[in-house]
Amino acid sequence: MNWVALKMLMGDKAKYLGIVFGVSFAALLMAQQSAIFCGLMRNTTSQIRDIQGADLWVMDRNVQFVDDTKPLSENALYRVRGVEGVQWAVRLYKGLARARLDDGNFQQVILIGVDDATLTGAPAVEQGKLLHGKLEDLRRPDAVIMDEFGWRYLYGAEPFAPGKTIEMNDKRAVVVGLAKCNPTFQTFPILYCTYTQAVKYVPQERKTLTFVLAKAADGVTPEQLCERIEQQTGDLRALTDEQFFWTTIGYYLKRTGIPINFGITVALGFFVGCAIAGQTFYLFTIENLKQFGSLKAMGVSNPRLVRMIMLQALVVGTIGYGLGVGGAALFGYVFERVVTNAPPAFHFPWQVLALTAGAVCVIITASAAVSLRRVLFLEPAVVFR
Amino acid sequence: MLTRYLLPVLAVVAFSFAMIQMTKAQQQPPPVNPPVDPGKSPFGKQVAGAGIVEPETENISVGTHVPGVVRAVHVRVNDRVTPGAPLFELDDRQMAAELAVRQSMRDSAAAQLAKLEAMPRREELPPLEAKVEEAKANVEDKVRLFERAKREIDTGVGSGETFDTRRMGVDVAKAQLRRVEAELDLTRAGAWKFDTAVARATLTQAQAQVDQTKTELERLRVAAPRIRKPGADRSREPIPSSDLLELRVLQVNVRPGEYVGATPGQAIIVLGTVGRLHVRVDIDENDIARFKPGVGGTATPRGEPGTRLPLSFVRVEPYVIPKKSLTGGNTERVDTRVLQVIYAIDVPNPTLYVGQQLDVSLDAGG
Amino acid sequence: MTAQLMDKSVHSELRVPHSAIALRGVTKEFGTGDTKTVALADINIDLPYGELVLLVGPSGCGKTTLISVVAGLLDATRGEVEVLGENLTRMGNGRKVRFRGDNIGFVFQQYNLLPALTAAENACVPLLIAGWDRKKAVAKAKELLAAVGLKDRLNSYPNQLSGGQQQRVAIARALVHEPRLLVCDEPTAALDAHSGRTVMDLIRKVAVQPDRAVVVVTHDSRVYDFGDRIVSMADGRVESVQRTEDRAQETEGRVPH
Repeated sequence: MNWVALKMLMGDKAKYLGIVFGVSFAALLMAQQSAIFCGLMRNTTSQIRDIQGADLWVMDRNVQFVDDTKPLSENALYRVRGVEGVQWAVRLYKGLARARLDDGNFQQVILIGVDDATLTGAPAVEQGKLLHGKLEDLRRPDAVIMDEFGWRYLYGAEPFAPGKTIEMNDKRAVVVGLAKCNPTFQTFPILYCTYTQAVKYVPQERKTLTFVLAKAADGVTPEQLCERIEQQTGDLRALTDEQFFWTTIGYYLKRTGIPINFGITVALGFFVGCAIAGQTFYLFTIENLKQFGSLKAMGVSNPRLVRMIMLQALVVGTIGYGLGVGGAALFGYVFERVVTNAPPAFHFPWQVLALTAGAVCVIITASAAVSLRRVLFLEPAVVFR
Repeated sequence: MLTRYLLPVLAVVAFSFAMIQMTKAQQQPPPVNPPVDPGKSPFGKQVAGAGIVEPETENISVGTHVPGVVRAVHVRVNDRVTPGAPLFELDDRQMAAELAVRQSMRDSAAAQLAKLEAMPRREELPPLEAKVEEAKANVEDKVRLFERAKREIDTGVGSGETFDTRRMGVDVAKAQLRRVEAELDLTRAGAWKFDTAVARATLTQAQAQVDQTKTELERLRVAAPRIRKPGADRSREPIPSSDLLELRVLQVNVRPGEYVGATPGQAIIVLGTVGRLHVRVDIDENDIARFKPGVGGTATPRGEPGTRLPLSFVRVEPYVIPKKSLTGGNTERVDTRVLQVIYAIDVPNPTLYVGQQLDVSLDAGG
Repeated sequence: MTAQLMDKSVHSELRVPHSAIALRGVTKEFGTGDTKTVALADINIDLPYGELVLLVGPSGCGKTTLISVVAGLLDATRGEVEVLGENLTRMGNGRKVRFRGDNIGFVFQQYNLLPALTAAENACVPLLIAGWDRKKAVAKAKELLAAVGLKDRLNSYPNQLSGGQQQRVAIARALVHEPRLLVCDEPTAALDAHSGRTVMDLIRKVAVQPDRAVVVVTHDSRVYDFGDRIVSMADGRVESVQRTEDRAQETEGRVPH
């Protein structure tokens, strides 16, 4: 009988395509909007993902997200080093600086000062993140490494060449390398330099240490170590990469209207999809009501009818879902390649696929349920009227 | 055909593409290690701090007592100096001139005293003695004249007036004799002892002034301090030369012709010992409770995470001081205090320099 | 044999009971209170196997309701309904569905073929419902289509067939699973006279079997002569049951007892 159900479904091409289109449109809209939302949210954490090599971040207790810098005393570094289970700990500066360009314009930049000795947190060479130059160049006087988007933003299509100078806090900085960084939320150029250099590039501050990056010793999980650090130091907060990532995203979710806006769009996609797919499916069922009635008279039981209709719904749902998420993925693929001078906000995690799948399930179940209601309460005697 | 096969196939292709994109997005980048390995903490539980290398004697910043213009510098950086060896001299011309004045004043006072001590002058006595003889003779003469007048009166020959006059003449002659005798005694007695004492005091004062000026001159020449070797007996005074430390010139901040002031803390020449190096470790006040005096430790020079220098405990500075920024960056205000602990570097000839920063780990037990 | 004389002691164990359909005091009412209408009023009727029974009467006389009750599609308000030896009044809903699927063939006025299926596929649907393998079912359906004279239209879709052809497909479908009761609802109403006759002829030839009861609802007087027995209804009551003698003889010859 499943075969009959499928034949029935595909026999009416117009309606079949209509339902598939409805579902795939909904899936496309939901997946694409969710992916942009995820991308945007993920961009807020780009520095957490860029600065690698350590297990955890130690910061002031009141830091709410990665750009919320609350400087620490230099001694915090040594207090962290004193915690049992810390394999090593290094300092990191992260902040905004105002750069004066060759042409006299001012530009806000994200300044990252890595530990002078170890360069922990500098662009990951292993992952090919350093496009030009050498990390060792950072040790040269006034040297900074700029990120790719920043270069395009400041110098347009000009190909990279080391030696560009900019001025920060009346001090000279020379661009010696180009790094590939994750797209940022603020879209400012990113400059890497050594910690001591970074401190000179910002106006005098009472404290300068923004973060302490620490690595857990063998046999200690980063989570355990975080707890220990917080317990022993008392006024510091320690988060693993993962925790910091979610803390930052949590902040943006709570404090900005972004999730609401995207939520509305996704909901819109959901409802439009529900409407189109549900409506068409319902019409399809109504049209076939007489057929269903005769099947019912001929001895098809209600559970069997439910299975048939659910199978039809499942087929259109699956096809529509596949087309929809494929379309969304294609959108992202093209978007990331066409837009090169601005950091793209598109991230396609499995959760988006799962969420879309769930929503499509709801759509087709709802559509099928409306149709089923008619079919199940259909008196078989109607075939004689 | 379209609906039965193409659409499902298309859906499968599209879904596969989505899966590929998703897997790509999901990919975890390979783990990254710091470009230079930061090294591992050597102890399970540890107290960490920044340390700064200093000589065993700590840094001896040699200063000057008096401000002035430098005339000569006798040492160069890295010279080894024995205690008392001259380091530098200030211009001393004014002091030298003053010394000459003071010396002549002293000589004058000495002469004055010698003069008083040489009294009485022998040549002055004979005239006075002659005057006494003369007065004695006069008295005898007057007495005879009076006796004659007295006999005349007794005999009634003479007049009363002559008698009185002759008696008065005797008294006058006697008084004259007494006066001349007193003058002779005065001269014979020589200089008055109080005058001598005053002259002697004047001489002493003049001598002292000369000495003072000499000291001032001495102070213009700065020499290496005399310091006992650590562990030497502190009660022996003066310090025997075997207990004295040989020092090394770590820094010379002065050149001839420069003006130096007597500001406290000014390091004109920095001296230190040649032998063992110490490291002064700053321990945050929050960590003091976890630090136990006497525990071992290791030090790692900045930028050399592989090197680990063993440290042995020397002492704790009992006074907790405001933290000095060691970053050399912004002049930051201080809001924490640190306990300073001195450790010795247990390596014969470490490639370390005084003033170098070290990352120090101290064993906190466990 | 006479259906009217059938006594009530019919047992379901009997392979071929005397009466295929036995209704006792069957009443069907729709609605309640003021809106209550009586569709069937105290119907007592016995119909035998091996005969083509025509159920005739004007519109609204209750023949569709009666056939629905007989086919197990509607429950009677009162009375006993016994079909093929099974008491439908006391049968559960699930069993009734299975009973329909196994034992009853349906032919509808509007054919009710599935437009997405070919003639052969349509005809095999009851077998699929019964759980047959699709290939076997289609093969069986083709045999029946050959029997109704559509051997060359096996793979045609309903919209490629004329009304008469569609109804023949429907007959093939109704008989493919060899039901013991065939219920036809106005099979000729949508057809022209010629096609109607062909269809009725087919029903007589192919459907009427000694162990099968065939009930045809019609108000088409042109086909009255195809029936062995004509049950006339009016206002929810059975007015008369007439036997058409000439047909009866022919039927008598074919029935073994």
